Amino acid sequence: MATTTASITLSSSDLLTDNLSLSSTMNLYKDSTTATGLDEFRMERLEIPIDDYGGGTAKQYDLIPNSAAAVDKPNWVYIANKNTDDTHYVVISIKDDVIGRLYAGDWLWMPWSCDLNAAMGSAVELQAFVATATIEYALFHDGETLTESADS
Amino acid sequence: MATTTATLTLNSADMMDNAVSISNTATLTKAGNNTGVTETTGLSRKKTSTGSNEILLNTDAGAGSDVTAQKSAKVYIKNINDRGDGTKFVTILLEDTEIGKLYGGDFMFIPWDATSSGKDIEYTVSDTTETVLEYVCFFE
Repeated sequence: MATTTASITLSSSDLLTDNLSLSSTMNLYKDSTTATGLDEFRMERLEIPIDDYGGGTAKQYDLIPNSAAAVDKPNWVYIANKNTDDTHYVVISIKDDVIGRLYAGDWLWMPWSCDLNAAMGSAVELQAFVATATIEYALFHDGETLTESADS
Repeated sequence: MATTTATLTLNSADMMDNAVSISNTATLTKAGNNTGVTETTGLSRKKTSTGSNEILLNTDAGAGSDVTAQKSAKVYIKNINDRGDGTKFVTILLEDTEIGKLYGGDFMFIPWDATSSGKDIEYTVSDTTETVLEYVCFFE
């Protein structure tokens, strides 16, 4: 069993008349447990083109595709837009439903429910706008269906 | 202009052979520039035990009604309950599309398309156990 923690701090000294300072820490647990931590993980850094690799048509890409082994289990997703130009952004969606935009420097942290029965699936999708986006993402999970080798 | 920052740290000393340590700080800015967001719902709490779908943030009311073009909005949500036996949770949705589940103590931080073409952020508790959500939206 692994112990993985996620901590967040939101702070501002001038958004309100008083300081804003909010902190929270959580453990990443397996489903229906109170002490068994998630123990599988993958992380990548990717360049997301704004068109179809030179084909000229803007594309949405599956960043985290559906996986039968991930259904009904806790999955946690971290995505960061590592671009530095303020105008560059990516749109994050679950199937056709837009969650929101990550501009350069932004990140998100969210649970993800993989649902193979949802119309068009429930993959976490991403589309880059204005320029190629450099993305870092991580998935903490409790199972992932591997692709069988064509020559197995 | 206000300066608001959000920092996430992900740590594990024993998930892999080497320690996992990811940290990232974002300054919450308006869309497409480096000017800080200046509006917020403030930190709020919502208590529920109905087990039915309820709207947490509405694109047509409150913060959502102020966002009429593609602007910046970020949302923090935390399930304040204890983890209990690990079987009770709150499902967070974009209207009818499930994002994921927050068990007691879990939190999330996401951008939100708060325009009228976007989706309300809704929630459903897994049973009739009284559940408290804490949330805040930063927007322009």
